[in-house]
Amino acid sequence: MTKVDQFESVFRSATRTVFQPVPVELDSVLVVSDADGSAAEEFTARSHSFLAILDERENLRWVTVQGSEFHTVPDLLDRVETERPGLICTHRHLHSESWRWPYTLGEYVDVLTQATTTPVLVMPHPERPEFQELAGRRPQSVMAMTDHLTGDHRLVNYAAHFTQPEGRLLLGHVEDDAIFERYMEAISKISTIDTDGARKEIRDRLLKDPQDYIDSCRKGLARIAPELTVEAMVTSGHHIRAYQRLIEEHGVDLLVMNTKDEDQLAMHGLAYSLAIELRTIPLLML
Amino acid sequence: MVQEATQGPSPEVSLTVTLFFAALLVGMILCLAFEEKLHAQKSLIVGLFAVITLFAGAVLLPLPYGPYLIGEHEVALPVYIPAIDWGVITIILGASLFVDVTSRSGLFTWVAIRLTKTSRGDPRKLLWYYGLMTVGFSAVLNNVTAMIIVGSLSAVSLAKLERSDKLLGFLLIEGLLTNVGGLLTLISSVPNIIVGTAAGISFIDFFVKAAPFVLVVTIATLLMGARIFEIRGLATPEEIEEAARLVEGFDERDGIESRGFFWFGAVMLVLFIVAIATASVTPYIRDLGMGYVALAFAAVMLIRYKHEVDEFYRTIDWDLLAFFAALFVVISMMEHAQVLALIGRGVEALIALGPRAGTSAVLLSSAAFSSVTDNIPLAAMLAKIVAGIPMPGGGIRPPGDPLWWAVIFGANLGGNLTPIGSASTLVAVTIMRKHNVPLSFVAFVRKAFPFAAMHLALAVGYVLIGT
Repeated sequence: MTKVDQFESVFRSATRTVFQPVPVELDSVLVVSDADGSAAEEFTARSHSFLAILDERENLRWVTVQGSEFHTVPDLLDRVETERPGLICTHRHLHSESWRWPYTLGEYVDVLTQATTTPVLVMPHPERPEFQELAGRRPQSVMAMTDHLTGDHRLVNYAAHFTQPEGRLLLGHVEDDAIFERYMEAISKISTIDTDGARKEIRDRLLKDPQDYIDSCRKGLARIAPELTVEAMVTSGHHIRAYQRLIEEHGVDLLVMNTKDEDQLAMHGLAYSLAIELRTIPLLML
Repeated sequence: MVQEATQGPSPEVSLTVTLFFAALLVGMILCLAFEEKLHAQKSLIVGLFAVITLFAGAVLLPLPYGPYLIGEHEVALPVYIPAIDWGVITIILGASLFVDVTSRSGLFTWVAIRLTKTSRGDPRKLLWYYGLMTVGFSAVLNNVTAMIIVGSLSAVSLAKLERSDKLLGFLLIEGLLTNVGGLLTLISSVPNIIVGTAAGISFIDFFVKAAPFVLVVTIATLLMGARIFEIRGLATPEEIEEAARLVEGFDERDGIESRGFFWFGAVMLVLFIVAIATASVTPYIRDLGMGYVALAFAAVMLIRYKHEVDEFYRTIDWDLLAFFAALFVVISMMEHAQVLALIGRGVEALIALGPRAGTSAVLLSSAAFSSVTDNIPLAAMLAKIVAGIPMPGGGIRPPGDPLWWAVIFGANLGGNLTPIGSASTLVAVTIMRKHNVPLSFVAFVRKAFPFAAMHLALAVGYVLIGT
C-alpha cells in the first residue's frame, strides 16, 4: 500500500495553509514604568511616539502605571486585571538593577507574559542608549519571528498591525540546524533510507512550507495594506545567531514573537532566549 | 509430432483425474479468498498451484509438449509458455507502465485537485465530482490506481475541509464506483480484457454497449450514496465561505515538475485512448494487437526519463503479472484435465433455463463467485467455457451475445458485494483502516449490499434488453 501513501503525500504537498487576515483590535494601552513623575511620563511619551501608528489606526486609551503604584507582581497583575488593556507596554527589569546583565527579563515581565493573555511590548531599558535613540522612530521594519511560521495568522496579523503602512514586514522562519542534524544522524543509521536524498528532501520541504505561507500572507495583506512590503526570511541555522544576523542586516525596529507554548508553563524557549539577548530593540511578545 | 500452439484439451481423461484437478482449482480459489489470512501474495499462491498442476499434468495428462508450430516454423517451447495469454499480459504491462510515467507529469493530480477546487468545498458537489472522477479514472487507468488516487485525495481533502466524518461514505461509494467505471471500456478491467478478447469485442463496440449502463448506475449510486451517508450541500453563507477558503489552499500546480511534460502527458493520454480504441480497425496495428499499442506508448513516455527507466521497472506490479502468468498456466491445466468442460456442463445447465433466465443466472452466479474470490480467474475460466459452449444453430458465439455480457457484468459487479470481491474495494477498506474508520467484513456487506443489489438488478435488466 505504499502507493496510497505516495498519493496522499502528493495531495498533502499540494495543500497550502492560506493566510487569514484578522483585524487586531486594541482599545487601550497600559504603560508600566518603574519610575515616577517625569521619568514615567517620558517613558510613556517615548512609547506613545513609537506606537503612533496605533493611534492613527484606532482611538486608543493610554493609561500609565507608575513605579510607586506597585511593589509586587500580584499588585501589577491586579492592576492589569482592573484595566484589561489590549496591550501592555513596559521595559525589562522593572524595579531591578539587573538590566545591566543579560540573564533574565526580570520577574515582572516574566510573569506578565505568561500570566496574562495580553500582548506585552518590551521596550529597551530606559537607561540604555537605545531607548534614547527611539526618539522620533517608528516601526518601519518589523520582523515576525518563529520556528514554525506556517499557519501562525495571529503573529502575522499583529506584526502587520504594528508596521507603518508603507513599511517592511519581514516574516522570519529559522529551522534549527541542531534539531535537524539530530534527526539526520538517526536517519543516517537506518539502512532503508537514502541519507543524502532524505537530507535534501526534508530540508527543502521544511523551508518550502513557510515560504508558501509567506506567499499567501503577501497576497492576503496586499488586499488590506497595499503599500506594505512583505519579505520572506526563511533559512536554517542556529536560532539565536540567525535571528541576530537577520535583525542586524535588515535594521529591524520591532521584533514580534510568540511567548506562549501549549506544552509548558514557562515562556517559549526560543522567545525567552531571544528576548534576553536582544536588548537593543523593542520586542512585542504575544 | 508437431503440436499446434493453440491446441485444445484431450478428451481422454478419467473422471477421477478431472475431479482431482477440480479439487486443486477449488484449493487455489480458497487460498486466494483467504490471501490476507495466509499473508502470502497472489503470485506466490497461484505460482505454487501452477507448479503443482503442471507436475500433476505431466504425470496424469497427455499434455501437448512441443515443438509447436507457429506459422510455418517449428518452435521448441516448454509446455507452460504457450499456455499464457501474452496478449493480456502485454496490455497490462504496457498500460500500467504508461500510466505510471504519465502520472509523473502531474496530470492526474491536477485533474483531481481542479475538481476539488471547482466544488468550492461543498461535500455534495465533492461527492459527485469524486464519483465521476472515479468512474473516469477507472475507465482510463485501472481500478486499483483509480481508487488509490481518488481515495487518497478524499482522505486529504475531507481532512482539510474538517469533514473526515464523511470519509467512510466517500470511500465506500468510490470503491463501488471503481467496479462500475471498470465496465466502461475494454481495457478498464482485466475481466473485460480477458472476456472481450475471447469474445472478439472491439473497443468501440464495448464502449457503446457499456456506456449507457455505466452512466445510469453511476448517477443512481451517487444519489443513493448521498442519501444513505447523509452527504449534504453547505447551507449557510458562513459555511460556504469557510469551505471555499479552505479549499483555496490546494495548489493544483504543485505536482507539475515541467509544464512541457504535463502537456505532453495530456496529449499522449488522449492519443493512447484513441489508439487503443481504434486498434482493432487500424491497418497493421490490428495485427500487432492492443498490447503492442500499450507497450509502444509506454516506451515513448519513458524517453523523458531515459536515465532512470529502471525506477519505473521497479514500480511495475510484478506480483500481478506473475499472478496472471501462473493463472493462465493453471487454467490451461484445468482445460487439459477437462475441469473446464465439467464446469461448462454446469453453465450449460444454467443456459438451458432459457435465454432470459439462463443469461440472468449466469450473470448472478458470476457475481456471486466474483464476490468471494478473485474475478480474474473466474473471468479467465468462464471466457474459455463460454467460448466452448456451442451456439444453438452451431458456429462461433458472436461478440454481441448476451452470455459474454452476463459474464462481464457479473464478474465486475460481483466485486461490490464484499470487501474481498475486488482489489479496488480492498484498497478502499485499507484506506479506511489507515484513517481510523475501519469497516468489518460484515459491516461492509451490510452497507454495500443495497448498492450491489441495485447494480445487479440494473445489469440483469440491461443485459436482458439485448437478448
